[in-house]
Amino acid sequence: MEKKIGLYICKGCGIGDVVNTEKIVNIAKNALRVPVVAESDVLCSKEGVDLIKKDIAEQGVNSIVIAGCSPRVKTEEFNFPGCFVERVPVRELAIWTIETDEEKQLAAEDYIKMGVIKAQKADIPEPYVIEIVKNVLVVGGGVSGMTAALEVANCGYEVVLVEKESELGGFARKLYKKVPTDDYSKGVLADVNLEPLINNVTTHPKIKVYTSSRIEKIDGQPGDFDVTISKNGSSETIKIGAIIQATGWKPYDAKKLAKKYGYGKFKDVVTNFEFEEIAKNNNGVIKRPSDQRVVTSVLFIQCAGQRDSEHIPYCSGMCCTTSLKQARYVTDGNPDAAAMIIYKDMRTPGKLEYYYKEAQNTPGVMLAKGEVTAIREEYDKLIVTVEDSLLGQKTDIETEMVVLATGMVPTTKEPQDYLIGLSQAAAKGDEEKAKYLETTKKPEFILNLGYRQGPELPFLEGGFGFVDSNFICFQYETRRTGIYAIGPVRQPMNMTEAQEDARGAALKAIQCIEHVAKGIAVHPRAWDTSFPEPNLTKCTACKRCTEECPFGAIDEDEKGIPFYKPNRCRRCGTCMGACPERIVAFKDYNVDMLGTMMKNVSVPSEDDKPRIIVLCCENDAFPATETAALKRLKLDPAVRFIQLRCLGSMNLVWIADALSRGVDGMLLLGCKFGENYQCHFAKGSELAKYRLGKVQETLDRLQLESDRVQMFELAIDEYWRVPQIINEFMDKIREIGPNPFKGF
Amino acid sequence: MDKPVRPDLQFAKEIIKAGGESLKKCYQCSTCTVVCSLAPEDNPFPRKEMLYAQWGLKEKLYKNPDIWLCHHCGDCTAYCPRGAKPGEVLGAVRKLMIKDYSPPKFLANWVADPKYLLLIFLIPILLFMGELFLLGYFSGTEIPRGDNGEMAYSAFLPAVPWIDLPFMAVAGFAVICFYLGVKKYWLDLASQYEIKRKDIYNCIYETIKDILLHKKFQLCTTNKSRYSAHILVLYAFIGLGITTGIAAFYEWVLHWKSPYPQTNIVKIIGNISGIALIVGIFLVIVNRSKNAAKQGIGSYFDWLLIFIIAGVGVTGFLAQLLRLAEIETLGYASYVAHLVFVFTLFTYAPHSKMAHMVYRATAMVFAKAALREEGVKKQEAA
Repeated sequence: MEKKIGLYICKGCGIGDVVNTEKIVNIAKNALRVPVVAESDVLCSKEGVDLIKKDIAEQGVNSIVIAGCSPRVKTEEFNFPGCFVERVPVRELAIWTIETDEEKQLAAEDYIKMGVIKAQKADIPEPYVIEIVKNVLVVGGGVSGMTAALEVANCGYEVVLVEKESELGGFARKLYKKVPTDDYSKGVLADVNLEPLINNVTTHPKIKVYTSSRIEKIDGQPGDFDVTISKNGSSETIKIGAIIQATGWKPYDAKKLAKKYGYGKFKDVVTNFEFEEIAKNNNGVIKRPSDQRVVTSVLFIQCAGQRDSEHIPYCSGMCCTTSLKQARYVTDGNPDAAAMIIYKDMRTPGKLEYYYKEAQNTPGVMLAKGEVTAIREEYDKLIVTVEDSLLGQKTDIETEMVVLATGMVPTTKEPQDYLIGLSQAAAKGDEEKAKYLETTKKPEFILNLGYRQGPELPFLEGGFGFVDSNFICFQYETRRTGIYAIGPVRQPMNMTEAQEDARGAALKAIQCIEHVAKGIAVHPRAWDTSFPEPNLTKCTACKRCTEECPFGAIDEDEKGIPFYKPNRCRRCGTCMGACPERIVAFKDYNVDMLGTMMKNVSVPSEDDKPRIIVLCCENDAFPATETAALKRLKLDPAVRFIQLRCLGSMNLVWIADALSRGVDGMLLLGCKFGENYQCHFAKGSELAKYRLGKVQETLDRLQLESDRVQMFELAIDEYWRVPQIINEFMDKIREIGPNPFKGF
Repeated sequence: MDKPVRPDLQFAKEIIKAGGESLKKCYQCSTCTVVCSLAPEDNPFPRKEMLYAQWGLKEKLYKNPDIWLCHHCGDCTAYCPRGAKPGEVLGAVRKLMIKDYSPPKFLANWVADPKYLLLIFLIPILLFMGELFLLGYFSGTEIPRGDNGEMAYSAFLPAVPWIDLPFMAVAGFAVICFYLGVKKYWLDLASQYEIKRKDIYNCIYETIKDILLHKKFQLCTTNKSRYSAHILVLYAFIGLGITTGIAAFYEWVLHWKSPYPQTNIVKIIGNISGIALIVGIFLVIVNRSKNAAKQGIGSYFDWLLIFIIAGVGVTGFLAQLLRLAEIETLGYASYVAHLVFVFTLFTYAPHSKMAHMVYRATAMVFAKAALREEGVKKQEAA
């Protein structure tokens, strides 16, 4: 279909008062050769929208450039299905943020010009649609996994549930009692009552359960995964649409606490996990391991290993409540019994505060803040030394038994540690790598993904082995599209929270299947039908795209030529930014398009009139700029904003081109990265920063100062920083002086 | 390093049973300590006492004058954000202390437990009934009248031996119990704190002055009216003590038998004190009921003493009025009832809440000797 562009300039919201729209209409018609150009007093009014609709119907306009307000407002009015729509925020970027009328006019001209060029360079994308299956694989048959399976199945989708143990139930099976989930008026201990859930799962017509099974291999992409399940030595490969990983946790290895708390040395020092077993095996009667005597005093040590840099530095979230529960195993039905809980801080979030209060009011339960510094044995008793308590003195407490409240370690920790070790060894050379493979015991992997970037879900450096999920914005979404991590494999949590996770992820998995069925991006660009289309004939097999893709969407063949799996792709364009050959392109977003837009930004020839291009993330930094505009904060008229899908799609060629045209400086505004990243695409802004490290070479070649290109991290709520950053940058640019290429 | 301590949750449960039900609610925010006007600046109470109580650290609680420096004004209870009632908890600890320090223990148990309410009154009732029986009043002997033919309790039940003998005996018993209790308490305190002042007599003198002026009560803010009620009862008792002294002087030295004319000094002091006692104890009851929500209603232990004191006042006054009105049977009955109440007051003084006057005074003397109250003095001066 032939492209026909229509440019519509809105004169409302004060645009028409200061901008000479007639002049822009002339530029568009004559210089840019836009076939259909129209003005409207209020474009978002019925008359204005009808004007566009009429042109679509009568003149065949299919690429629409709307110069008016931000793309984040009036989305319902300016919705034209089947058309390419570019919204040029003249109101925000030219009218509201710039002070003088003369500069407002120049900015409006630049922005509208760029909008038209974008429309000229863009094609209307055609979705990537392949044959898919609409079912979900759930890995792990604990409470999280079973809940997720049921939720998915109840929505009408087929589920395959794989559990490595011979029975479903996970950790919950091993519990004697659980914390009640309603109020505590009917008692503080509730039956685990797992059977109804297990029965619902096993009898559900849409759920197929594999017990004593493992995942041997996962290949393919969302909607079209090939999952090989092995059971009793035989393998079966099935097609899967989306995957939920709910493989849970393991208790922290208490042997590492031998020195600190005498675990292993004293028989009656047990972990909370072992204590639960004792209670379950004896039906609630607490017999201590050394002499099988029924005990009447038990001391619980909270944070046994947790929040300790030598063991696990994080809070496991559930141990405080677990100890409060287990304390009741001791005191319930035994008025003479005492359960003493020594804690660093009592952490019972949300409604569990009431559970804590219940325990606090129980006469047999003693809660005391303090630090356990020693444990010794005296006759048949244990003496626990507590310091830093509110008593203000060192205290010896006598008890018959000690319970260490140990924490959660995700099941993903071991494979991850192994893989980290492997990559570190590989970095030292092939010999080291071979040695590592030989000497290190390979742990059991969970998903065994056939992805170029590795067999398991990615983790975050400093993430303690938990699966990385963008926990600020999209908590169930891992960095593998169509694979969702839930429950304690994602972050430490209790059973109720894990079930909440399961419900969320079930809907996410369904969203994934339905989106890939239509050929649109899964998330977060959940409307986008474009996808990367590399011109592989020019590929040099440098592997940058396959390495940098934050979502592992690109595999390689044996020659190192990338092999795109579009359903894994989130359309951030990181590969496009990474490619030195600039061969990666989306139909409506590519290097040439953005480059041409930048080339058409006016560069004043006067030395005292600098021009700055701001490349800005459309997810966080640009909305922040718009908020600054809404608050009528003024910005330097030298800046021109260009929105990128993600700063990760920033290609260095743009910087070289712009600077050689006389642009005085480039400012990059991206999301926060690092441990608490806020990047929609996890790695984009970090990769941009990394690439920027290499821009020095370009600048040296052009004999330009390195300060002309700078990057800042900006969160979506930090609108007030926008003028600050720009002013500081402008001061710097003015200090450096004009770009010597100006006027060439 | 301090001596290691061992938590004793059984003792914590005892405190809960003794009236400290709210003990477990404390989460150590220390609001109580901040609002308490009586707590010394250095190492103030009752935050730490709440922790001692939660851990069941009997020794820490007992060997500590602070327990008694608290006058239970209820500021802490009123301001507690968690509904723990430190005032009530400390009251419960004091009750347990009285029980543990004043011998013999069985008497303390009787007084502390409503189960024995009848028994503790039955003993004096039987005693005086026995006397009346010996005098033959139950077998038809006519009750003798006074020298001038008027109705006279001294003729009904001559002081010697029927009253003075048993009362001197129980008073002596009470004194011995108190002596043993106070001695033990003092030694316990001295084992934990250094006595820094050598002038113990000055300390005693200052304490008596404090008590007579009711300085501590004046510092309370939640329950200001308690000051007037308590001071009224205190002075009433002092007045009644003087009355008893003068009466004894008349009886034994001047051999002047009662009843004395209403204009006599002994009657004037006695009647004023009696009225003060009745008014005072009435105010105590009113205050307690009014402030129950803020300050706590108090325990059985508290109310037993209030009941006995009210009984002493009301029956005493009634007996006098009935005597003047020559209403014989009722009058004699009131008189016997009066004797029963006074008897319980005396006998159980070391074990009932009455013992607070002795233990608290001891703690106050000790606190002065150990320079525990320096901070409070500054506060008072301010």
